[in-house]
Order: sequence, then C-alpha cells, then structure tokens
Amino acid sequence: MKPPMEFRLDKKRFLTSLALTAVFNTIIALFLTHLGFGGGLYINFIFSQSIGLCMCAFILAGHYFVKRPSIPGHALLLLVAMPAGAAVGAFVGAQIAGFSFSEILRGRPAFFIQMLFIGILFGTMITYFFFSRERISQTEAQLQDEQIKRLTLEKKTLETHLKLLQAQIEPHFLFNTLSNVLSLLESDPNKGKAMLTDLTRYLRSSLSRTREKMTTLGQEMDLVRAYLDIYKVRMGERLTYAIEVPDRLREMPFPPMLIQPLVENAVKHGLEHKVEGGQILVKAADHANGYRLIVADTGSGLFEDSVSGFGLANVRERLEALYDGKARLILEDNHPSGLKVTMEIPHE
Amino acid sequence: MNEVKAVIADDEAPLRQFLRARLSEVWPELVICGEAKNGKDALDLIERHRPQIAFLDIKMPGLTGMDVAGKIAGSCRIVFVTAYDDFAVEAFEKEAVDYLLKPVSRERLEKTVKRLREELESGESVQAEILQRLMTRLSEEEGSRHLQYIRVQHGDGVRLVPVDDVIYFKAEDKYTAVMTREGESLVRKPIKELAEELDPEKFWQIHRGVIVNVRSIARVSRSLTGKGVVKLKDRSETLTVSSRYMHLFKQM
Repeated sequence: MKPPMEFRLDKKRFLTSLALTAVFNTIIALFLTHLGFGGGLYINFIFSQSIGLCMCAFILAGHYFVKRPSIPGHALLLLVAMPAGAAVGAFVGAQIAGFSFSEILRGRPAFFIQMLFIGILFGTMITYFFFSRERISQTEAQLQDEQIKRLTLEKKTLETHLKLLQAQIEPHFLFNTLSNVLSLLESDPNKGKAMLTDLTRYLRSSLSRTREKMTTLGQEMDLVRAYLDIYKVRMGERLTYAIEVPDRLREMPFPPMLIQPLVENAVKHGLEHKVEGGQILVKAADHANGYRLIVADTGSGLFEDSVSGFGLANVRERLEALYDGKARLILEDNHPSGLKVTMEIPHE
Repeated sequence: MNEVKAVIADDEAPLRQFLRARLSEVWPELVICGEAKNGKDALDLIERHRPQIAFLDIKMPGLTGMDVAGKIAGSCRIVFVTAYDDFAVEAFEKEAVDYLLKPVSRERLEKTVKRLREELESGESVQAEILQRLMTRLSEEEGSRHLQYIRVQHGDGVRLVPVDDVIYFKAEDKYTAVMTREGESLVRKPIKELAEELDPEKFWQIHRGVIVNVRSIARVSRSLTGKGVVKLKDRSETLTVSSRYMHLFKQM
C-alpha cells in the first residue's frame, strides 16, 4: 500500500500554485466572456481571479495544517475549503469591482449561486490537475529513491567481493612470507620447505573458498592454523597460539573468510606491535541456540581511535547480511590485556 | 678511509640473516656491528656503535623504522627495508630516500651499496633534511584520526562499541548516553569532548546535547515552530534540531 500523499508547503510550491491558478483563472474569464456570461471581460476577470485565488489559498492553508490527510480527510478538506473559498472570493471580487455584495445577495441571489457553482466546478477540475501533478512527481521521486537504493546495494556487494579477494592475498603478508621462505632455504631448508607448504595450503584453501558460499568450521580452522603456523615461523617465540574446537562443531556449516580476518586482526593489531609478543586463542563452543567463536589475544588491545581497517567492519557487515541480524559480534577488553572478539552464530 | 659500520634492524630473524648474507657478498668490508629485533634495540645499537649506515625494517614492534629514523635524525645514513607498502614506497621515491624491497635482490642491493659508498667517500652530509620532509609527508597522509570505538561498561566487563553502530549520543550531566539499536549505555565523557573526537562527516551535532549518526537519519521535517524534527531508522523516538543547527539540513 502506498503511504498517504504528503503535501509539503514551502514558499516555492505556494507561489507556483497561485501563479498557475491565476493563469487558469484568466482562461476561465475569457471562456465565460466568450459564452456571453456575466458582465464583460473586465468584471469576469476580477471575479474569476478573486474566486480562484481564494479557493487555492484556502486549500493550501488546509494542507498547511493537515500535512498527510487520509483520502476521506482530504475529501472533507476540499468540501469545506472550496465553497468557503468561492464565497469569500465572490465577496472580495464584488469589493474590487465596486459592487455592493449585500445587494447582490438580496437582489440577484441566483447570480451568486451561479458564481459559486461555476467556481466549484472549475475549482474541482483545477484541483484534480494539481493532485495528479503531485502524484506523478511523488511517484517519480519514489522510483528514483528505489533505484538509488538498488544501485548502492549492488555497489556494496561488488566492493565487498573485491576487498575480500584483496584481503586473502594481502601483498604485505605474501611478500614477507616469501622473503622468509627464501632466507630459510639458505639457513634451514627443512623449515623453509615447511613454511612454503603452509603458504600453499593457506593460499589454496582461501582462494578456492571464495566461490563457495559455505564451508565447514573445521575447514576454516585448518585455514587459520596454516595462517598462524606461518606467523609462528616469522615471529618465533613472540607468538604462541591454541585452537580449541570440539570435533562435533567441526562439521558445522560456516561462511568462508569470516574467522580468518579476526585472527589476522589479532596478529596485526594485537601482537605485531608488542615487543614481547603474546598469545592467541581461537575457541569454539556451544551457546544458547547456536555456537560461539572466540578469538582472544594478549596484545596491545583496541584503542578508541584504532582504525581496525577492513577486517572487523567487514566481518560485522557480512554477519549482518548472512544471518539477517541474528548473529552478533562482541568486542571486549581481554584480561589482563588485549582484545577478545566473540561471534555468536545461530543454528539455522 | 676507516672501516664502515652498519646495523641491521628487523623483527624477523631469518630476514636479518638473509640481508647480512647478501651484504657480505656485495660489500665484504662492511662491518655489521649489531642486529636489532625491534625499534628500541635498534636505537640503542645506533647510539652505542655510531654506525654510518642503518638498515631499518619499517614494521617493527615498539618503534617502527620510521620512528627510529626520526629519533636519530641525521646521525647516520638510513636504508629502509620493507616487504610491500605502496604508501611509504611512493614517499621514498618522491624524496629520493634509499629503500630495499624484501626479498632483497642482489642487483638492487648492489645499486644501493654503490650509492652509499659514493656518498660516504664524497663526505656528503647526511640526509637529515630529506628525512624531515619524508616524515612530514607520511604524517600528512595519515591524516587526522577520529574516534572509532566507544568503551562502555557492560556487566562486569568493558565492551567496545564501533561508532558506526551508534544511532545518536545524548548528554546526561557529566556522562553521555550512547544509543544503539540494541539499547542504551553510558560513557564517562561529556558530549562536548565527544563532539571534538567524532568524524564531523559522519556525526552531526543537531542540538546542544545531541549528536546524531548521519547514516541513521530516516528523514527530517520542519515543525510549525520552524524547528527540525529528525526521524530515525532504528529507533522510534524523534530528535529535535535546534535552530542553531538547522543550516546542516538546508540543502534538503
């Protein structure tokens, strides 16, 4: 159902309505004079202008007080405003033309009734014209709004997709890891080979996962493990980590690349800045009507002006879209230091 | 000319070893007087040994390579080492600062070493000025920082609410109420302070005691008295715009 039409009354609309009405009034005066009605063009012009403009002013005044009239309400408004406007207009017209209004009422009541009748007849036509004009412009505005909404949504989906692709093959991560592999091949070839295997595993699973809509929690955890293993070589004793996922939760369907950004965030914003490094705990557990994933680090924590970048904001947006607002992402201070991110996923 | 000393700073051990090995091939006479695994150690080493050259990784815990460079201002030549950083590399190029990309290639290192040797022999003054310009450039690009998260008390812990999730802020004495879709919480910060810290593009003050998230505004209409009335997307109450702030909605 369409919402009731809204009549916004600003100066521009007020003036254009009056100006258009004046044009119609002139046409009506010419038309009536051509038919031989009334007292010549001059008199007809005065009466049609004053009656028409008064009616228009009354209707506009009505809209000023009742912004969103319902359909019966609107009909009632017109039913009162049009005759009242016509009557007041006839009085004003008589004053301007130099007639005595009381004489007209007493001597030629039929003429007065005729004037009212003609005023209301044309008034209805003109009101109908304004009404359709307003309706058309509002429908157009609505269509435009919808189109803008649709395009924005499309743009956002594309952006997310692109950013997701970039996030997986983050150049800094890739080059740094490759430099490490290269160095290790000289100093500790076995370690170098192991790291290259981890990198291959990480790239393969994250890249093939993009096209799938769902994977399992277990597969995502394997990805996280490969990622953390790479960092373990790079950061040495500065990083320790644990992944605790009960076997039965490993089979849970889970969207790809939702937990990895949280782990990445813990490494980059939490531990990398800290000279002494720290620990990362990734944990899954049952919770109310679903399950809960926790990524906690003992790093430097989140500052009020931390730009978490793409990671957290994107996870939040995707959770919202994937679970229709039923999933939650909670950020807390970890004890004694660092950040704890909890994701609550409902069963579907 | 007496011996040339250098320090290497990188938080990742394999990468320090790698650079050291490459340097010994390309510039055997160079004395590596120390390796640092974070910014602070690098600073100590440089102060203790007074080397002519410092190879500084940019991303290091504690102090970054940039921070270290800023602190030793001009006391030795600096070669930045980075894996990938569009941002910094662009600045290095513009200011003609020496830099190496990881993994460090032999050809590139040879070029850098040649340049360093020439500079040392000609006794050219150290690039203090260039570094200064580089720092200014990088700090400018970083831009001003706005508040991203609000710390609120929740149960017995502290939660961080992203400011994007806030629908509006309302002043309550010395506190400010943070209104989100899920409810209301208090922060111990006057609204005046918040107004200065929030991104003015995203948050508008519409009343002495109210700051609204522009994204949460559903529509604005004008009441009979000329005041603006804001309808919100995810909350039922409406907010009043005082005439002082009506100019924000002028174009609407």
